[in-house]
Amino acid sequence: MQEATFLILTALADGSQHGYGIISEVTEISGGRVRLRAGTLYTALDRLRADGLIEVDREEVVDNRLRRYYRLTQEGGNRLAAEAARLQANANAALKRLNPSLGVI
Amino acid sequence: MSESTGLEQAYRRLLACYPRSFRQENGAEIIAVLLATARAGQRRPGIAESVDLIKGAARMRMGLSRSPRPVLYAVRLMYLGALAELGVLITVVLTEGSIRAAVLQRNPQVTTGQLGYLKTIFTVDIVGSCIGIAVWILLAWANGRGYGVARIVAIVVCAISGVLLLGDVADGTALYAPAALIAGGVMWLIGLAATVLLLQKQSWAYFSRQAAPTPG
Repeated sequence: MQEATFLILTALADGSQHGYGIISEVTEISGGRVRLRAGTLYTALDRLRADGLIEVDREEVVDNRLRRYYRLTQEGGNRLAAEAARLQANANAALKRLNPSLGVI
Repeated sequence: MSESTGLEQAYRRLLACYPRSFRQENGAEIIAVLLATARAGQRRPGIAESVDLIKGAARMRMGLSRSPRPVLYAVRLMYLGALAELGVLITVVLTEGSIRAAVLQRNPQVTTGQLGYLKTIFTVDIVGSCIGIAVWILLAWANGRGYGVARIVAIVVCAISGVLLLGDVADGTALYAPAALIAGGVMWLIGLAATVLLLQKQSWAYFSRQAAPTPG
């Protein structure tokens, strides 16, 4: 799973978000390292919807502008959990192997 | 005209690069997000966001946005095949004169009829390469969109190309032109790799999903 996909799914893990909300959440989750642009975001959202990992939760009109909220599907939640576990296992393995005497950790 | 209206129109022009169906479904929402993320006083789209939008549109136009990874790689390989075919076409066009000169130098008694036959061979090669490029691009586009027929055509074309290539090797025809044999072999391998990817489990699921009738 690509990092942008992982971060978008993570942004939706604790509730539905609209496009701008996802961009803000991803920036926050990544500590400002990843700043999604609209083209990248909507290409990813289109793909995630097609894969059944997210779905539209609801739509609102705010200041005459459409705001569409997205949420994780059950399958999306499962995939995110599996990917998070995989990343955590890899990180744990790396940290365990690093020699503390080198002063790395 | 206010700054935001001018900026919005500029964004709309960029969004025009996207497929109509995608624009109709997501256009208003994307515009809202673009305006929300614009800097205060911004009058026109930045270079990076313009590139990002055009890149996204290109991915959608090429059918690369919704397809799973094996189909994505297969489509990329098919575009690579089109590029390789273009290389062959350019090579044929550029070397026609030198080959004709070499033939005349080795055999000054060559007849007009024989030269006409040589010209016909080049013409067939050029037309064949043009058709090949079109087929590669069409198959890439159609497979990216998940058209089941396109996948079947890709498999059939790969099988026929393989048989023809093996036939040329078996009867020794291909051995007269090693460069052509190598080019044909490389393109066939590209097609074979794409075909294998199109037969992966994820690809089957994608093509089945695209073939299913849309609810409503």
